[in-house]
Amino acid sequence: MPPLTVSLALIIFAAGVVAGGLGIALGLGGGILLVPFLTLGLGFPLKSAAAISLTTVIATSSAVAAARAGNQLMNLRLGMLLEVATVAGGLLGGITAQMVAESTLQRIFGFVAIVVAVMTLRRVNRRNVICDPNADPGRLGGRFYDAESSCVITYRVRRLPLALFASFVAGNLSSLLGIGGGVIKVPILNAWCGVPMRAAAATSALMIGVTATGGAIIYYGRGDLQALFAAPAVLGVQLGSWAGLNVAEHASVKWLKILMAAVLITVAGLMFTRSTGS
Amino acid sequence: MNPGERDAEHLELIIGRVLRLGTATSSTCFAAGLSLMILGRGGALARVLLPVGLVILLATPAARVIVSVVEYVRERDWLFVALTLAVLLGLAASVWAAFL
Repeated sequence: MPPLTVSLALIIFAAGVVAGGLGIALGLGGGILLVPFLTLGLGFPLKSAAAISLTTVIATSSAVAAARAGNQLMNLRLGMLLEVATVAGGLLGGITAQMVAESTLQRIFGFVAIVVAVMTLRRVNRRNVICDPNADPGRLGGRFYDAESSCVITYRVRRLPLALFASFVAGNLSSLLGIGGGVIKVPILNAWCGVPMRAAAATSALMIGVTATGGAIIYYGRGDLQALFAAPAVLGVQLGSWAGLNVAEHASVKWLKILMAAVLITVAGLMFTRSTGS
Repeated sequence: MNPGERDAEHLELIIGRVLRLGTATSSTCFAAGLSLMILGRGGALARVLLPVGLVILLATPAARVIVSVVEYVRERDWLFVALTLAVLLGLAASVWAAFL
């Protein structure tokens, strides 16, 4: 791990701004960019990079969920039920990260980066919504006002076991790699479980805070998480997310997505090279 | 809006308040601690502020879960009391795995 210096803290802050800004503009967490920057660019071991990144995931989750509270987009019951699975996955991931080799973590990260790149390029269509304020959402479903289509959208949750399984995998990869895991949960909740895109994203954003906390506590206890590195990363990602929210409306998301996919595929290539070399 | 949805909205607002307070406090600690370090005064105060900010950051989502348990008890929704306690148990297991 590089020595603790003030200039390194400032570099991490700047990286956080970029990762947070791009992350929010593309609807991804910043972690998928921050982790490779910390490990490939600054020479942190993947475990420490993941730990730092998890703290930014927690901060983003708390800030985004606080801002959204009150508009019924977050499905609290569904979120809490799926959190049982993500926390279990996160706990397992945090323990596994202590046992597997750095090269294995690099290979898993490379593989996930490719999956995320493909997901970024594919557009997930919204469907399964009922535009009827009187429809019954069932015990786990939800109802919210959608400004875009100016109607009250009601939805029911389907294929709950699949949602639980996806949440477990997301929680596992989250604490293993320092990413939020929304990139795994959101498309599955949307495409197969009947949850509209915006509700899936809001619920996932709320959930990843608790998921990442489980992993971060393990890293903190094992000495892989230092407050001096976490602080600038968290503040940078928060500033970047705030800026990204304002820029996202004007930027060309299509080109941002293509750029992002290119960066992720490069990251995957570098991770695979590192894992086999030296 | 049926009573269940009113309860959910009530809980959402409480959760929003808890999360806002947690993020604001931890970010203030981080910003103050880092500023002291950059100004060359990274003494005892900075060395306390940074870890305190980190612990508050980690405690915030846990606080959200605790508030939810209380709310589901108040609603007598025992299934969700059990599920929320299971999430808390998972977090407790992380603390156990971290420090033991």
